[in-house]
Amino acid sequence: MLKCTINGVELEVKEGTSIIQAMFDNHQKIAHYCWHPGLSIAGVCRLCMVEIEGNPRLQIACNTVVTEGMNINNTSSKVQEAVKWGLDFHLINHPLDCPICDQAGECGLQDQYMEFGQYTSEMAEPKQKKRKVVDLGPTIVLDSERCILCSRCVRFTDEVSKTNELGIFNRGDHAEIGTHDGKKLDNRYSLNTVDICPVGALTSKDFRFKQRAWYLKDSDTICNGCSTGCNVKVYFNKEGLFRVKPRFNAEVNGHWMCDDGRNTYKFVNKEARLEKSQEYKNGAWNVTGAAGAVTKSFSKLLASAQPEEIGLVLTGQLTNEEYESILNTFTNTLKTKNIYHWKSPETEKNNFDGLLIRADKNPNTNGLLAAFKKHGISSTWTDLEAKLNSKQIKNLVVIGPENIAVYKDIETQVNLFTKASNLMYFTSAQVAALKASQNIQSVTLIPLKTFIEKSGSFTNHAGKVQAFKKVTTIVSDALNVNEVAQLLAGQEIKLQFVPTENLFIAENLRPDQVRLELRKKNEFFFNKG
Amino acid sequence: MSVNYKTVVQKPADKQWYLLGIATGLAITMKHLLKNLFNKKDMITLNYPEQKYDYSNRFKGNHILTVKKDGAIRCTACMLCATNCPADCITITASEHPSAEVEKYPISYEIDMLRCVFCGYCEEACPVDAIRLGPEWQTPGLNGAEFNYDIKHLAYRASLKGGVQSVVDDKERSKSGI
Ligand code: SF4
Ligand code: SF4
Ligand code: SF4
Ligand code: SF4
Ligand code: FES
Repeated sequence: MLKCTINGVELEVKEGTSIIQAMFDNHQKIAHYCWHPGLSIAGVCRLCMVEIEGNPRLQIACNTVVTEGMNINNTSSKVQEAVKWGLDFHLINHPLDCPICDQAGECGLQDQYMEFGQYTSEMAEPKQKKRKVVDLGPTIVLDSERCILCSRCVRFTDEVSKTNELGIFNRGDHAEIGTHDGKKLDNRYSLNTVDICPVGALTSKDFRFKQRAWYLKDSDTICNGCSTGCNVKVYFNKEGLFRVKPRFNAEVNGHWMCDDGRNTYKFVNKEARLEKSQEYKNGAWNVTGAAGAVTKSFSKLLASAQPEEIGLVLTGQLTNEEYESILNTFTNTLKTKNIYHWKSPETEKNNFDGLLIRADKNPNTNGLLAAFKKHGISSTWTDLEAKLNSKQIKNLVVIGPENIAVYKDIETQVNLFTKASNLMYFTSAQVAALKASQNIQSVTLIPLKTFIEKSGSFTNHAGKVQAFKKVTTIVSDALNVNEVAQLLAGQEIKLQFVPTENLFIAENLRPDQVRLELRKKNEFFFNKG
Repeated sequence: MSVNYKTVVQKPADKQWYLLGIATGLAITMKHLLKNLFNKKDMITLNYPEQKYDYSNRFKGNHILTVKKDGAIRCTACMLCATNCPADCITITASEHPSAEVEKYPISYEIDMLRCVFCGYCEEACPVDAIRLGPEWQTPGLNGAEFNYDIKHLAYRASLKGGVQSVVDDKERSKSGI
């Protein structure tokens, strides 16, 4: 361990630690563009200047290693001047694009300019023009003029995704980011480059122009796109959810997440959801009463049925707590062991791409298996098929998947479920397959909450249990499976009704979070890594 | 800190004397009546709505969205006006423009005039002189929906005669190297 002093704070750091890393770990502020904790060191932006006692010239913090007794500061006027004029060089050819730039509001250039800059440009030459709105690939648009050539994106494709699509072409003030002729930036982690780009040079096609950054609130949660369970932040406002970004967790996903995971907000939004419970009777679909009341009315039916006539189907997309309560209701109150695991087609395969993506597209298959083991359930899918075909199971409760896109077999399975004379299908998604099904008898659809709307925990592929908190409410009438379990067991519970004007109110604010009300008042607070 | 205050006691109604007040009031009324009767030209009152008074061009009335030289909407859909608006009455939907030179533009721009307080903050926030408060103020409507001005009305209503041109031009700015 080495001792050093940074801005008057005495620190002990491991040998070989860079100054910027030491400052980062100690939550000290330092201007930087090219350094990223998850990438190699480039030392090209020259913004992370620090003054080291006994050293006549300023040094860059990212490529200087701490030595014993070093006395470092980045608050002296010498450092401030250096950063200020360093920034001026970055802005020489930078366009006046902030009004139409998606990065505005969370832009490294804007932040540093407000902190160190605020000068009039000293350049007499006109700005260098470069390519704008370049289609880099299926997910990303490049604006070369805005790029400050920090090379983070190039290093990402080099070191993390290992796909090497990006490079810096030409030299001097003609240098720009690009791909080789005819090549596209197309990999399953491409959108991470948008996150790490400190300016608005790389923008996501999916998010482009949808919202300004300051209209969005963010909340922490766990991605439910696959069994890796990346730690993520979702961004939303009262119009819906708009994007998902990764959150650092060294044990699970590091700094990154995959592109598929970023789509998980789509099935949570209102347009994709079942909002009211519906039933199929006398050949037509009708909207019925409140979800809670409809579910409650089934408890009597289930209580009067023989245990063998009841069945339950679960997917790997619920929380551990929900598995516990629903299995408790079915095994202890209703005394049935007809409980089945509906697997998405690739659940069994243990495919892994070496970085994050796993073939099992359910976030909590491990949690479900553990709960099955605990309650001694060992039934197989062929069991269910046999019992439905022989009409032994009459009342079937299905808790359907919320990420319906990964259940490619949904049509076949739904046609199987409809063989039950009475089907209760709990789902957060709209089930087109069920509506299209030919041989339906009596079906009730009841809206469920998604992972964004409930607290709980997922057990990921490695058995790591990750808890997450409810982010907001999107469909007020929907139930979570804990409530379903209690209602089906015939218990009286009080359901919370959220009035429409309170939908989308953030429920798990961090203490350091930028609040929308403050943003609206133009008081910009930003806490950035 | 002591506060100085005075208690005002009103005379009871039966002790008050109105006659002088009534006479002064009537005198003023008669003065104007006679003046207007014999000197109709200088009469201040207008026969609204047949006669209308035009305010100066600097009057801050109904909004105008300005246009570029080619007649397209100047607004870049940056939402700064909507962010700055204290009444929260501007709703913009941005979209990608087919031309890379424009890049971002509004496909819908609505102002709820019944909520607007005519503070002019939107005009102040706009970086490209795309929105102005104009001299129009007589804007009756039969129902609430008619006060929801859409992009067509804001930029191309008949009274604007094809649109008001913005003073900020991208092409000129680009040529001068900004
Ligand atoms: S990158 Fe930052 S400074 Fe540059 S145009 Fe975008 S928001 Fe403005
Ligand atoms: S595109 Fe962004 S991340 Fe890549 S070099 Fe330019 S500024 Fe850096
Ligand atoms: S004048 Fe004021 S209240 Fe009206 S739209 Fe503009 S900013 Fe909003
Ligand atoms: S009117 Fe001006 S401030 Fe408002 S969105 Fe358009 S360009 Fe931005
Ligand atoms: S962060 Fe050190 S030079 Fe860029």
